Amino acid sequence: MTPAGSLLVADELHKAYGPTTALDGADFSIHPGEVVAVMGPSGSGKSTLLHCLAGIVTPDSGSILYAGREMATMSDAERSALRRSEFGFVFQFGQLVPELTCVENVALPLRLNGTSRKQAERTALTWMERLEVDDLAKKRPGEVSGGQGQRVAVARALVTSPRVLFADEPTGALDSLNGERVMDLLTEAARSTNAAVVLVTHEARVAAYSDREIVVRDGKSRDMERIV
Amino acid sequence: MKMRQWADDLAMGVRFAFTGGREGWVRALLTAVGVGLGVALLLLTTAVPSALHRRDERSTARDDFTYSQKTLRKADNTLVIASADTTFRSKDVRGRLLEREGARAPIPPGVATFPAKGEMVASPALKKLLESGSGKLLRERIPYRITGTIGNSGLIGPTELSYYAGATGLGDHLENGRVERINYFGPSPGHQQNQLDPILILLILIIFVVLLLPVGVFIAAAVRFGGERRDRRLAALRLVGADGGMARRIAGGEALAGALLGLVLGTVFFLVGRQLAALLDVRDISVFPSDLNPAPALVALVAVAVPTAAVLVTLFALRGVVIEPLGVVRTAKPPRRRLWWRLLLPLGGLALLYPMTGQGNHNGQFNQWMVIGGTVLLLIGVTALLPWVVEAVVARLNSGSVSWQLAVRRLQLSSGSAARMVNGIAVAVAGAIALQMLFAGVEHDYTKRTGNDLNRAQLQVMVRGDVPLSEVGRQLARTKGVRHASAFSQGSVGDRAKDPNTTLEVAVGSCAELREVSRLTSCRDGDVFRILGGEYDSDTKKATKPGGTLYFDPAYSGTTSHPVAWKVPSGMRTAGQHQDPTGYARSGLLFTPGALPEAAAAGLRQQVYLSMDESVRDAYDYARNTAARLDPLADVYTLASSEQSLQFRSIRNGLFVGATCVLLLIGASLLVSQLEQLRERKKLLSSLVAFGTRRRTLSLSVLWQTAIPIALGLLLASAVGLTLGAVLLRMTGETVTVDWASVLSMTGIGAAVVLAVTLLSLPPLLRLMRPDGLRTE
Repeated sequence: MTPAGSLLVADELHKAYGPTTALDGADFSIHPGEVVAVMGPSGSGKSTLLHCLAGIVTPDSGSILYAGREMATMSDAERSALRRSEFGFVFQFGQLVPELTCVENVALPLRLNGTSRKQAERTALTWMERLEVDDLAKKRPGEVSGGQGQRVAVARALVTSPRVLFADEPTGALDSLNGERVMDLLTEAARSTNAAVVLVTHEARVAAYSDREIVVRDGKSRDMERIV
Repeated sequence: MKMRQWADDLAMGVRFAFTGGREGWVRALLTAVGVGLGVALLLLTTAVPSALHRRDERSTARDDFTYSQKTLRKADNTLVIASADTTFRSKDVRGRLLEREGARAPIPPGVATFPAKGEMVASPALKKLLESGSGKLLRERIPYRITGTIGNSGLIGPTELSYYAGATGLGDHLENGRVERINYFGPSPGHQQNQLDPILILLILIIFVVLLLPVGVFIAAAVRFGGERRDRRLAALRLVGADGGMARRIAGGEALAGALLGLVLGTVFFLVGRQLAALLDVRDISVFPSDLNPAPALVALVAVAVPTAAVLVTLFALRGVVIEPLGVVRTAKPPRRRLWWRLLLPLGGLALLYPMTGQGNHNGQFNQWMVIGGTVLLLIGVTALLPWVVEAVVARLNSGSVSWQLAVRRLQLSSGSAARMVNGIAVAVAGAIALQMLFAGVEHDYTKRTGNDLNRAQLQVMVRGDVPLSEVGRQLARTKGVRHASAFSQGSVGDRAKDPNTTLEVAVGSCAELREVSRLTSCRDGDVFRILGGEYDSDTKKATKPGGTLYFDPAYSGTTSHPVAWKVPSGMRTAGQHQDPTGYARSGLLFTPGALPEAAAAGLRQQVYLSMDESVRDAYDYARNTAARLDPLADVYTLASSEQSLQFRSIRNGLFVGATCVLLLIGASLLVSQLEQLRERKKLLSSLVAFGTRRRTLSLSVLWQTAIPIALGLLLASAVGLTLGAVLLRMTGETVTVDWASVLSMTGIGAAVVLAVTLLSLPPLLRLMRPDGLRTE
């Protein structure tokens, strides 16, 4: 049954890579402005769940409804457009284009949506200020630290004011101090724009930033009650 | 630095190359395939001179013309041999008819036993052709039973079409230019190897430099494949205590491993290519695998130079990279490339070539080392200047679409690797433009207009005189694909029956046919005319005084003939000159059949001009078959508007073959390095697609990334090529003119290679852009 008011709902998702089953009947739902942590051990299928929810990977079976629309019926181009305008992404590493400066990286999603370069970079700078990395605007990713790079990536994910932000182990490559700072800024910025956040992590202290937790194990998902 | 330390570090690198798991293997294999392709081409190219030499040796060993004035008498050791060469669908067929006159008659190279009359020994290629359906038409012309095959020693190449057929009665035709009595096969006394003139030697030298240099450039690029991943591995070594120098030497060792494996692969490719060469026939050139033997010194040089270059190139490439224990830092702002030393290379090249200006004019010899040195420096100058040009230009590029921005930024960050990728093609194009200019500039020295009028006839057939003219004309005119046949007899008259001082040409034919070779106002059978002032005429007027006696088919010492006397009539009319279809303006006498003494016909040869219907498939071969039926020793010439020196044509063909190989190699190298770069960016490409980047945007960015350096490379290559071409033309003493069409076609070919590579790299690019790349488990 679809939870009322959900923005993104997945039901009975199955996905296999060759002989390996990644998802085996996983369910998921998220409301606007909600932060949901997807937890589980390595290889449990949590990243695959995120990729399916974001329309990056098509599940073998099951349904995903985004804002009432079945994603399986969308073409590749429609899903790409959705990712460009409605979704934002933060990965663990390897996501910033090394040739572009930080501000150009942040402006990239806007430029892909057709915004002029000047306007895109102006908006990008605003977001960089919010994430306290505006001083890195002219630097290339190779010239900044891991934590700074991840904040640039968060700024890039939020620059289009997405309705859903997907974060896959966003602090996986950072020390605890930097990790916390990135999570503070990420959740704060998301809440301020009422964006839903799907947060894949295996760290409890990162999951603590969420409103709700889902555990994925052997391709199956299970809702956890938050103990406060 | 201790040698021991170097050796240890290099050895460790070699070990890492093969023990680094799948990724290490892939990298070593990529390098090895790249180096191997280069090494194979290097070995094949350097084996070409020896292959051509061996071809030439075998060709000379079967020479069957003595060019001697002395007539050989029939003896126990003589052989009468007649040339029956022909052409089948534009491929030459070498044919010889043999008549053994004694037990010790010489046997042709490659032939085990003399074929009897009606039998022949054929080359394997001809045998295969004659036994196939497509050779049916040729079988009619060469109807002899095949009793054996000609061995390799009697052939110049594996695809040569050649046969020796047994015959009788050839001795009666010794006066025919195609029949000769010989007592050995091989070069005639005083035979000299064809000496190439200095300009042709210059062409060959430049061709070698132009073909081999891109191969060298390619090898240098191949040893740097997969550098970025390797750098990350080196960082891990720094973490466990290796210093910067050690890390570089270990990297050198990894490249050394790839190069060594490349040498092995190159040898395998070479041996395979050598075998495949036997199956190839490029513009009538084919070689036996056993002919393709590179000089041992060159092999040794390749074996030493390639691994050494691999290590040096790697050390050189890593000079701008700081390998830190926690990662690799490419110096954020690499030092600006300096122009001055890059300019020294082409300037040095010009300085070497300039002193030889005008030497070709006086048939002077060029200093080969200066030519090679100058050309190499000029072309290497392209590889030195290109990174500077790319850096300088891309630094100024900015605004544009997302794909453009992605490409430009990538180029700004690593313009070196982009320039390296196109270096090979730039060098090849620069060299090709220079060569085209040189070829175009000197072509007129080696090409002659024939004057043949192809609107009137396309084929000329000459048949021996004892076949009646009317039969010759009738049969050829009835042949499928022949529109019109104009037949007349041809011979000569002399002022004496034996050893005449003056000879005149004679043509015999109907009025209509005589009009093909002269201008006649009125003509009837029984008329005879004279033509004055032809191309080689000085005697017709003097020799055709009324009442004088002339002799048909006069005898010369050593030949047998049956001279027939003819009295010059009074009142003989003079015909106007008119060029025949071959462009020849004749002089001498013209007879209508009624005016010819009956006995004179025997000493004449029949000549027919054929106008062909080009729309009929194999029309020329039907005509050749009819000619062979009329006279197995008939001469059939295809008329052409111009003819080119054989050596010049061979060199041009050689260039074509070599350039094709080099372009394929460069295309392959571009593709491999393109794929390598894409592989390195798999994760980034996947994440860009994940947040909605259109695949078209990424594909376009890959195209721009290649197109920008290629455009710059081709511009630079054109400038250097034109300069080199102008200098070479000045050296040969020719006027410097630019053949823009060839410049455009050369750059066009270069651009086409890039486009093809980009298109070929699109499917893997699309595959790499799949979101699967985001998976880590």
